[in-house]
Amino acid sequence: MKNGFVIFLSVAAVMLLSWGALVLAPQMQLGGARQVPVLNSTDVYPLARPGTAAQGLQVYRANGCAACHTEQVQQDGVACDVVLLSPGKNPSAVSNLLATLKLTGLDEGSALSASDRIAAAGGKVETRIRATGSDIARGWGLRHSVAEDFLYDYPVALGSLRVGPDLADVGRRLPDPNWQLQHLYAPRSLVKGSVMPPFRYLFETRKIGAVPSPDALNLPAEFAPAAGYEVVPKPEAKQLVAYLMSLHTDVPLYNAPFTPPAPLKP
Amino acid sequence: MSDETPSPKSGTEPTAARSHLPMWTLVVLLTLLYLGGIYFDHHSGWFDRQVYAPFDNAVQLEAYQPKSGAAAALAARKKSYEAVCGTCHGNDGIGKAGQAPQLAGSEYVITRGFNRLAHIPLAGINGPIKVAGKDWNMAMAAMGAALPDADLANILTYIRGSWGNKAGEVTAEDIKAIRASLGARPQAMTAETLQALPE
Repeated sequence: MKNGFVIFLSVAAVMLLSWGALVLAPQMQLGGARQVPVLNSTDVYPLARPGTAAQGLQVYRANGCAACHTEQVQQDGVACDVVLLSPGKNPSAVSNLLATLKLTGLDEGSALSASDRIAAAGGKVETRIRATGSDIARGWGLRHSVAEDFLYDYPVALGSLRVGPDLADVGRRLPDPNWQLQHLYAPRSLVKGSVMPPFRYLFETRKIGAVPSPDALNLPAEFAPAAGYEVVPKPEAKQLVAYLMSLHTDVPLYNAPFTPPAPLKP
Repeated sequence: MSDETPSPKSGTEPTAARSHLPMWTLVVLLTLLYLGGIYFDHHSGWFDRQVYAPFDNAVQLEAYQPKSGAAAALAARKKSYEAVCGTCHGNDGIGKAGQAPQLAGSEYVITRGFNRLAHIPLAGINGPIKVAGKDWNMAMAAMGAALPDADLANILTYIRGSWGNKAGEVTAEDIKAIRASLGARPQAMTAETLQALPE
């Protein structure tokens, strides 16, 4: 073969280039990822998942949850809202000004000029930053996913197909573990028309003993076991729910900034 | 099959004839390269690991960091405190043995007013002093003398409102007034002169 050595070198160069771009470059970029500070707070993010939640990731993996659920929230844009905190000493001037200004869905520059104009009129304002996009509008998260979200996970259950909803922030969306357990046992008892298969083998249906189990599911009649029986979650179900509860991507980070919604007043 | 081209002589490899690169190919390639450059500029984030999808570059990301609100103000105060005071007084305000007394629960911090507290960073302090039941005999330079009024006010507000301290806010105007009353080269405070001041 003519030019055999040149062909060999070209193939080696192509392999090396793709290795460099697909393995080496990401490793250099994110290989040193570590905990990062939460914006405007003294906390760090992420914290390692508690033991049962870390075991739950393996249950998640074993049951192929990632085949139908993603854990990656997309963000299409970012918008600023200017919020009036107090009208100051000249409320009528501020309210006249507010009537003429656009205050929501601004970019950073126009939010700054709007808040400067209100401040000049004596009003006290705050600029709130929020993520926008179809995933955000569905309530699946408050910001896009970042590499730090998966810092303590192995394997990373990113998922690629959305038969079911995204779970990146499910611990904030659906914070009730009892709801999650019942949903695993009988999805359609809670979500009408759900296509999720029931994971009944993560539960045990057994005869009620001397005392009913405190863990027994409180099921509607249609899904309840025969009289005298109760449905109790196995450890795997509890671990899986602990993992789902630990999925929180609701804190603002430098690389995913937003203004967190004000905490509810008691 | 009469017009079949004659097969090349066996033993020689066929070669393509050399010809010039057509001009239209060059134009198309350069146009694609140009469009690719624009796309790269908008979507690569210049390979910065902090820059994710909706943001084009690090400058834009920086512009969208939340800057206002109570949480942002607290974070700014904490940062100033840790830069100036935290090394000796501790980022947790409990002080460090042999370096500086505690600020958490200190009787010089949680006073009704902040006159005495403000004098310490503005004028410095030395000599024996008793803080929260412990005796100290050291010197502190006038760490706040070179700080802008607003920064020092932020730091004192942070000290008076953190680690369980629940004293009030300090404003830049207050610091300005105290600084003016001290003059250009104030004498370092001692426990006695500090006690003599109004709260």
